[in-house]
Amino acid sequence: MPFRDDIVIKICGSAGDGSISAVDILNRAAALMGYHILNFDSYPAEIRGFGKSVGTTRISRVRPLTPGDRADCLVSLNDPHTITELPTLNESGIVIYENRPGSFLEEDQVIAGFIMPGMTGYGAPLRDLSVTAVQSARSRNIISLGILAGIFRMHPDGFEEAIRIRFSGKKDSVVKSNIKAFHLGRKYALDEIAKRDQIDFGEQLLERPGEISIMSGNEAVAEACIDSRIRLYAGYPITPATRIMEILAKTLPDRDGLTVQTEDEISAIGHVLGAGFAGKRAVTATSGPGLCLMTELINWAVMAEIPAVVIDCQRGGPSTGLPTRTEQSDLNIAVSGGSGDSPRVVLAPTNVEECYTLTRESFEIAESFQAPVIVLLDFFLANRIEDIDSKRLTGEYHGEFPGDLVHSGNEPFKRFKLTESGISPRALPGMAGLLHTVTGLEHDQKGMPDYETKNHRDMTAKRFRKMETLARIWRGSDPFGDDGDLDAGIVSWGSTVGSVMEAIDILRGQGVRAGGLFPRLIWPVQAEQLAAFSRRSRQLFVAEMNYSGQLASLYAINLSRKFGRICGVYAGPVPVQDIVDEILRGLP
Amino acid sequence: MQSEHYVIIGNGPAANSAADILRKGDPDARITLISDEFFPYYHRHLLRHYILGKKSKEDLIVRPISYYRENRIRLRLGQKVVRIDLQTRTVFLAHMEKVHYTRLLICLGGKPRIPEIHYVYSEYFTAIKTIDDAEAFREQLPGIRSMVIVGGDLISVKMAASFLETGMNVRFLIDEDAFWPLKLDDDQRRDFTERLSARGAEVISGDVLAGVEPETEGGFRVRTRNGLSLSCDRIGAFFGLIPDVDFLVGSGLDIDRGILVNEYLQTQFEGVYAAGDCAQVYNPDLKNYWVSIGWDNALHLGQIAAHNILGSDKTADLPPLNLLNSDGVKVQTAWWRDL
Repeated sequence: MPFRDDIVIKICGSAGDGSISAVDILNRAAALMGYHILNFDSYPAEIRGFGKSVGTTRISRVRPLTPGDRADCLVSLNDPHTITELPTLNESGIVIYENRPGSFLEEDQVIAGFIMPGMTGYGAPLRDLSVTAVQSARSRNIISLGILAGIFRMHPDGFEEAIRIRFSGKKDSVVKSNIKAFHLGRKYALDEIAKRDQIDFGEQLLERPGEISIMSGNEAVAEACIDSRIRLYAGYPITPATRIMEILAKTLPDRDGLTVQTEDEISAIGHVLGAGFAGKRAVTATSGPGLCLMTELINWAVMAEIPAVVIDCQRGGPSTGLPTRTEQSDLNIAVSGGSGDSPRVVLAPTNVEECYTLTRESFEIAESFQAPVIVLLDFFLANRIEDIDSKRLTGEYHGEFPGDLVHSGNEPFKRFKLTESGISPRALPGMAGLLHTVTGLEHDQKGMPDYETKNHRDMTAKRFRKMETLARIWRGSDPFGDDGDLDAGIVSWGSTVGSVMEAIDILRGQGVRAGGLFPRLIWPVQAEQLAAFSRRSRQLFVAEMNYSGQLASLYAINLSRKFGRICGVYAGPVPVQDIVDEILRGLP
Repeated sequence: MQSEHYVIIGNGPAANSAADILRKGDPDARITLISDEFFPYYHRHLLRHYILGKKSKEDLIVRPISYYRENRIRLRLGQKVVRIDLQTRTVFLAHMEKVHYTRLLICLGGKPRIPEIHYVYSEYFTAIKTIDDAEAFREQLPGIRSMVIVGGDLISVKMAASFLETGMNVRFLIDEDAFWPLKLDDDQRRDFTERLSARGAEVISGDVLAGVEPETEGGFRVRTRNGLSLSCDRIGAFFGLIPDVDFLVGSGLDIDRGILVNEYLQTQFEGVYAAGDCAQVYNPDLKNYWVSIGWDNALHLGQIAAHNILGSDKTADLPPLNLLNSDGVKVQTAWWRDL
């Protein structure tokens, strides 16, 4: 039987069925077996007990960039919910389902009735096996993992270890009973299920170099905040950013830091700006609705030139919108939300590792350029889990108040001195002889209010000059795909980049010369790099996950040419095939 | 008015020919085919070519899956019916789902028959009836050098010819029960044995299986009533097929060799029909029941049943002289004596 080395498994249940925990264990087990994983969960916005929860994991020898357009295997812990997931299963996919519910159910209430010809259904008495293992039905999720391991011949050791990790801190009996449940499910699959599919891991354990970290985008952000030695996290809980706050609330008190749950997002950004003004590293994390509330004080940070880092885990909008759905539609407000000409820095990581590295850089940029930095994640990136080589989770620490910015010399201190780079000397409150005023009003070089036209023009130009300096000195983003002239060049950002990279690989396989440019520094624009890429591209496309094509509109003036927009809102990440189809349609 | 829901148990020629007629005759109806096999409608007579690698699985398929989608026929594969409630018109499936019907057609075909005196050896027998059986056998084929075939039926004759092509040593134990339920005359029986011998099979006539023992180093030892002791890697059991109707026991349906139906293929329950190998059909002229085997008969009966479900009064008359050419020997495939 040929070995399949790239598969997507979905576990679907009702909130509380344990589908997300099962996928968490599956992730770790696969990583411990030496495979790469990419996991993305979808769960209801409401509290436990309602709605559909779907955990999706892609397991591959090659690092996956997306959770896959369609699943190869669907595990049902709740048939009515899972029935609605069937359209996401491959036509030759596998369904694992309960075949011993408590009573006979009416037609179309059980997923077995929906399994289409060409698919493979494996029924198993999940409930009965769970009762045998733990005297209740609560371990159906672990039983199903055993079934998966048995059918696909996945090495059991990784699962045992993953179960121990998942239930660490619980009673030993809990760990043992769950391991028992796993083995009961596995034994059932090996003894009772006649294999009829082509997925076979051959119980292989692959070699992996060094220590692996398994984390989500949010966890990577929190880890970066800790490693950047932040002193304050201030925030108001909001999906999908809350996980960052949860981690930092537990961690910071032991690291000379503080987490404050504020009364709202205005207060949260106020706290962060206060810390920034005092020279302490601080961060807040929010989502679209929270970012809306923060715009006024972010504007103040621009005017007062105060460092601040805001993590925005985007979700579907506008307004409270879709708390547990992914979208890249906060770009406009991130780049230009607020009154006046208000330049700020916007960064966008494209994967979990970059959630770490760019968050670390965001503090350095905020402090060096004395400006607010907004880091744009989205629901998919914030919640997706990847395995990362732990050695790559590093970054330089330059101190929270770069010494070369401190005023020196004999001339009077000008906190907002007009410089060629736009960056002025900075002083912290209480520094002797460096008294200055900080205000949201337009001000002169010493910080005193000054509404003269020339001063406003010079100061505005200075604030923009900082952005030009950053765009000039910040490392660019390496182009992806073919060198030289391209039939199709694709610009994309954030979590959509994974889909675009896979689409480019498919296109190249079909003989299309294709490549991509994926700016991590979204704003200010690195115009030269963008122009160079545009010149190489016979046809140019901008791909993103929003309805109106916000990046496309933002970059249109720099591109000054005709280009295709690949934009839309989806239930999850942008399907790779949609991008491929759009590009092929757009080629002559 | 609620539309009809025609449920057909089975996915062979009778079931599919019936579904075609039902779809044409009632475009708005729901039609559901339920089969415990996972593979779609396929040519069973080609299984021997599949075993030898001359045909792929895809070559066996009669019609693509898309056919069912396009014709709005719901095909439930790998789903086993475990019970029927004729009062509430409900079919119960093994995975504990209830499917309600307005008209039911049972086209179950047959399952390998093991004579009662040989039940005790069932676990040592190899039967090839389905594609799963064929697939399992195909995987084992390289390690099978010798085979004893007991019973003997039309399928086994063709299978034996195929096995001989691989260089396998084939011994054929033909007793008086061989080719059941066909009633071969002496000439036909002699014809079969001569043809098998000519191909290289060792035909042992007039002897009867008396015992089977597994051998410690693998394989089996077959003992006969006349004292023969035959060592082999596999024992092929080909005693014909019997209707796979165990789950219908207690349902209220009259069952003898098959499901008893009148000349319109209707059971004693209104709206419940049977067709194909599993049906035992009443003939008013004979005042007796008849049964048939074979693809063509099944197709024909499936069509008749479907027409009658739609309101016609077509009778399932005896096939006039329905001959099956098996390995060059022509045999009748419908009969009514000694049922």
